[in-house]
Amino acid sequence: MNYQLKSAITSIKRFPFQALAAIFLLTVTFLVVTILSVVSYSSSKVIKYFETRPQVIAFLKDSATVETISALQHKLQNDMRIKEVKYVSKEEALSIYRDATVDNPLLGELVNPSIFPASLEFSLNDLSHAQGVIEELKTEAIVDSVGFTASLGGEKSLGDVVNRLREITLYLKLGGGFFALLLVGTSFLVLVVTLGMRIASRRGEVEILNLIGAQKSFIKKPIIIESIIYVLVGVTLGWLITLIAILYVAPSAINYFGEIPILPRDPLMFFSLFGIILLGEAVTGILLATLGSNLALSRAGRKK
Amino acid sequence: MVKFKLVTKTYGEVCALKDVSFEVKDGEFIFLMGPSGAGKTTILKLILKEIFPDTGEIHVGGVDVSKVSEKDLPGFRQKVGCVFQDFKLLNERTTYENIEIALAVLDVPESKWKERIEKILKMVGLFDRKNLFPSQLSGGEIQMASLARALVVNPDLILADEPTGNLDWDKADEIMELLEGVNKEGKTVIVATHNKEIVNKMKKRIIKLASGKIIKE
Repeated sequence: MNYQLKSAITSIKRFPFQALAAIFLLTVTFLVVTILSVVSYSSSKVIKYFETRPQVIAFLKDSATVETISALQHKLQNDMRIKEVKYVSKEEALSIYRDATVDNPLLGELVNPSIFPASLEFSLNDLSHAQGVIEELKTEAIVDSVGFTASLGGEKSLGDVVNRLREITLYLKLGGGFFALLLVGTSFLVLVVTLGMRIASRRGEVEILNLIGAQKSFIKKPIIIESIIYVLVGVTLGWLITLIAILYVAPSAINYFGEIPILPRDPLMFFSLFGIILLGEAVTGILLATLGSNLALSRAGRKK
Repeated sequence: MVKFKLVTKTYGEVCALKDVSFEVKDGEFIFLMGPSGAGKTTILKLILKEIFPDTGEIHVGGVDVSKVSEKDLPGFRQKVGCVFQDFKLLNERTTYENIEIALAVLDVPESKWKERIEKILKMVGLFDRKNLFPSQLSGGEIQMASLARALVVNPDLILADEPTGNLDWDKADEIMELLEGVNKEGKTVIVATHNKEIVNKMKKRIIKLASGKIIKE
């Protein structure tokens, strides 16, 4: 086994409680980071879901012909901002109306299909496109008027809905990010303190290594490897605990949220998401470990 | 190999060396003799650039030690094998691992470690003690392990600070025989000691020190 790796492992074995304390805190940190990553993913999906829920309805003039309607439908289908374009004929509109007024059949019988305009209904890929799309639609010759169905928390106007959604996203990101940063900062400090204690306990070894001609990098490496071991164990445990917990609660959560895609339903996509989170955490962790150990080493160097 | 020119070293108000000059040629074996506080260890520490002289020049292997930069210091020290007065073995590592470190520091390929370590362990008579920790070794064995670590890197210069301190005659003699054997292979050996019997028996060049000055050479 490589000397530096062996040295790092010996050091961990020599002070198991310091190692356990560091690993425990890092596990908690990365547990929270993993949960926040999943919550962040899910919230973005929820917001996206709500963002794309509002439907734009282009009510068509009675003079619109099949060809002009078909041309507009085709044009909308090719628009990257728009999805799920659906044509609703006068008859279908009446049927929808009757379904909606099923509790009061008289209301349904009083109207005939001619008073309902045909329409083209569609969703948007991003709520921020709504204003532009609506303005463009109004200029179409066969479009009589444009309706926008958006309602969240009582707001009715497009601007209110957009602002409300943006606010929710911002608070989620700010709150979660602050909490994660707080934990990462605390873990970083604990890592630096733990490694500082390690370096202090290895002062004799460092002195011997210096005297027999060890390069600085040779002396530093075991400390860096040791911190990387802590971080990687912390990352793996935190990630694994979250994965197991989410696998446990996922069926109930998916069932509760219904069609809102809070988590990928395809197992491949699900594990890809967790794979990306693990990779991101490992890279962040290694950066944290390298920074922490270098800081601890430079502090020890200054104290010498 | 080693040249001191008017070297003075003080520790606060205590003068450890005062205008010391001497030269040790390549392949020579010399003893630095004198009572405690004479300046023997200070000379060895100056050679290793563990401490710096106040005045004077020190040359080791043709290199002016004062000009060895921080960056080049490890490479400089790698050419010197040291047996320290307090052994400086790592207590949480076995005899084998303590010797292994010296090779790791030199970046010797791992494939060559076993052969070299076992050879040196047999040479110092510690082969059957290779898996024991320093705390499980006797005083003489610890000294031998320290010597083995110094020799395994095949240095040009060997510094030994009281290598026979507190050892019985047989063990001390054994260590001196090993150092003499290494010297016969062309290595320069500088031994700091106060053991007159050993020095008289070896019949090598002697530099006598007292109160930081050379009193007899």
